[in-house]
Amino acid sequence: MKHLPKHIRPRWRYLAVEIESTPDAEIDRGSFQRELWYAAGNLLGDPGSANADLTVYSFGFEDGAGEAIVRVRRGETDRGRAAVACLSAVDGEPVGVFVRGISGTVRACEERYLRDGTGEFEQRQVVFADATRQAVSRDNVIEISMPSGFVSATELDFE
Amino acid sequence: MTELYEVVTAYPEGSSTVSRYAKTAAAYGYDGIVVKTRQTEYAVEPIAEAYGIDVVKGIEITADSPDSISGSIGNFRAGCTLLLVRGGTNARNRYAVEQDRVDVLTRPMASDGDFNHVLARAASTHGVRIEFDFGPVLRETGGKRIQALRGLRKLRELVEYYETPYVVTANPTTHLWLRAPRELLAVGEQIGFSADQIEQGLAEWGRLAERNRQRADEAFIEPGVRRGRYEDPG
Repeated sequence: MKHLPKHIRPRWRYLAVEIESTPDAEIDRGSFQRELWYAAGNLLGDPGSANADLTVYSFGFEDGAGEAIVRVRRGETDRGRAAVACLSAVDGEPVGVFVRGISGTVRACEERYLRDGTGEFEQRQVVFADATRQAVSRDNVIEISMPSGFVSATELDFE
Repeated sequence: MTELYEVVTAYPEGSSTVSRYAKTAAAYGYDGIVVKTRQTEYAVEPIAEAYGIDVVKGIEITADSPDSISGSIGNFRAGCTLLLVRGGTNARNRYAVEQDRVDVLTRPMASDGDFNHVLARAASTHGVRIEFDFGPVLRETGGKRIQALRGLRKLRELVEYYETPYVVTANPTTHLWLRAPRELLAVGEQIGFSADQIEQGLAEWGRLAERNRQRADEAFIEPGVRRGRYEDPG
């Protein structure tokens, strides 16, 4: 269809969202978008969710960390932010989300708030809770593999 | 801006250590965290220094009956800055709000706990903060969430009417479930709170900690009376 004349096009805002999860979590754009829509639908209801129109624009996630740009209608950013905050798990893996900032264009959003990826995990063994355990570490953060799942620690816990 | 604090459940009850929480909380813009797990072993100083964030030692009493809560209060009060009592049954709620030595009543509306005007009034008299637990709002769906929202609303109406002091938390059990203050403000506004209420609720943790530290200070004799030099009026 022919696109709308400029003055009548919807105005958007772009949320730069930081995503964090367990080291072995596999989150792709599809699953993130699905959970985001569920979160918005559950919190804002169908009309609210339609108004906010949360769409995942760019998405990157690897080794337990990632970032996404989420498009939201101008004037609905608070509702969009609330919906993002209610995203607590993707495919059963707990996720942490944090809105780094909001921009009026995708490019400004990328330039201001996105970083080029995080480093890779380094395999190591640590002594934790009275036993030697497998762990992965990156930037001072250590994720220890325990029978109950991962426990997140930092280098400070091993000094 | 006021100093905002969040209360966290650390390893072994939660799945992140205190330092991991501190790192994330600092990045999210908090000024401090309150650790409420008693079994957690951690050193406050190095963590506070490394991440530039205040770390407050708290203890949450999860005992069942008023008798054992009373015993726990006696045992733990001196060993922590903030003393929390887990609510969730009428007996526990009732007992906690009538204790001057208790700082915060947590999750009063969880499971079959309920709250009313008598408890709200008692809580303001005894200075016990009532906790608004945003955990279920952020992480549950469907019926459980609706119940939690209904509970929060009832609690909010009582707290507003009787001017009961309160605190707000997202109740994370992993650092992944920490949410930044602005996010909590946004969620709060969606469910009927004002942004100011949420901010005050987060700041109240810090104010409480500050007050209790002052009281534990050696120079403190009673409210308004301190040992030391005259205050310089100039």
